[in-house]
Amino acid sequence: MAMKEQAPGRCPEVWRPRDAAEACRLKTAFGPDGVFTAGGTLLRTQWESGSAAMPGTLIDLTAIPGLAGIRADEGQLVIGPLVKLSELMRTEAVATAFPLLAEAVRRIGAPSVRNLATIGGNVASAVGDALPALLVHEAELLWHTGGRTETTALEDWLADPGRAQGVRLLTGIRLKRTDAEAPGGPPGRIVGAYRKLGRREAFTPSLVTIAVLGRLSEDGTLTGVRMAAGGGSAVPMRLRAAETVLEGARVTPDALVRVSEAVLAEYRPASDAFAGAEYRRTAAANLIAAEWLRLAGAGREGDGR
Amino acid sequence: MIDRTNPVPVQTGSPVFAFTLNGEPVAVTAPPSRRLLDVLRHDLLLTGTKIGCEIGRCGACMVLLDGKPVNACLTMLYQVEGRRVTTIEGIAGGKDALHGVQRAFLEEGGYQCGYCTPGMIVSAAALLAERPDPTDEEIIEALSGNLCRCTGYGGILRAVRRAAAIGREADG
Repeated sequence: MAMKEQAPGRCPEVWRPRDAAEACRLKTAFGPDGVFTAGGTLLRTQWESGSAAMPGTLIDLTAIPGLAGIRADEGQLVIGPLVKLSELMRTEAVATAFPLLAEAVRRIGAPSVRNLATIGGNVASAVGDALPALLVHEAELLWHTGGRTETTALEDWLADPGRAQGVRLLTGIRLKRTDAEAPGGPPGRIVGAYRKLGRREAFTPSLVTIAVLGRLSEDGTLTGVRMAAGGGSAVPMRLRAAETVLEGARVTPDALVRVSEAVLAEYRPASDAFAGAEYRRTAAANLIAAEWLRLAGAGREGDGR
Repeated sequence: MIDRTNPVPVQTGSPVFAFTLNGEPVAVTAPPSRRLLDVLRHDLLLTGTKIGCEIGRCGACMVLLDGKPVNACLTMLYQVEGRRVTTIEGIAGGKDALHGVQRAFLEEGGYQCGYCTPGMIVSAAALLAERPDPTDEEIIEALSGNLCRCTGYGGILRAVRRAAAIGREADG
């Protein structure tokens, strides 16, 4: 067959399945030598750096119907994994309901990379910088697993991305609008922040990324507090102990010290040649405390107007 | 195991990929995962697209894909099938013509060694096509994926501002 003219590992052959089931069948057939691909930006970087071997086969997902586009219905948003990062950050429904996600994506790569890279690839990598924002928005992942569709909380999947048995294909990222939580909930307004720390101001791989989200009442009490951290090759995680510190509490200097201590105790970053885990843990704790101070301060300022 | 009655290989029989390059139809015979960068420079001898970092960081290989900037080192041949590719050679739309951005780079001295310049011009042209009168912040963001090790970017920023002004003059 024509496919075999290139030596494996030099220039992979490309298969283009027409539906999710076929994609899974191909992956099953090729095993580790077949790699799902869409934008391919992360894969190319891995091949060039030597952190991953070029596979014999690319299974190109871009012709599969239903994986592109963003659907909004009944207070939720389902983002297709083939949505390009540039498209995602410009989508009004994302920018208004999930501004942290839009901000996180805006910080990934440069415009040209975001024109190729997809949100599905960022999620499936398990280390993408969109993940902390998706974690605080409590995203759910929709999977095609051979014959059926499965839904997993992003947080559960990230706890052990390799755990699931068998071949699966990411088919959607579901977000529930924070606006939709308002009826019946406590009064106040939604506040949140996303920060990325890298070795340069812009277009840099992350050392630390953090996202925080909560509802700030007029008296300064926080509810629905969510925090997450990631960055570099660390798999992002929710910071449950830190969340507990601020839940139902006000942002006082004492509370911020305890939040910071909780982050230091529970966040598990990965070291590399440029930045050790200890530095990243401290940076995550400081960024989170600084953002809560800013958000609570902005709230008080707003009340005074 | 693979259902071969359902045709999936991108490349069976004739490995020809057709796309539009600088306004002209082209057909390239090459492996589907060959980098667009290699197709342009080695197969089609369009060497204005430069090789730099080869990991999508430096922007020397910037081309337009359906009018949007992408790194040719990250893009594979099969990904451009049926689409419009524009390189620095085609950015002005004519053999001896200069794009407003090219004129502005000449007038403002927006380069020193010139290696990053094709990529800079492609990114700047894409920006101005979308936002004819960009703010400095938008220019910096649009060029954030293009590295220059000579100029310190001052001349490049001036050149893009000048190109926007050239565009306004042309419109006015």
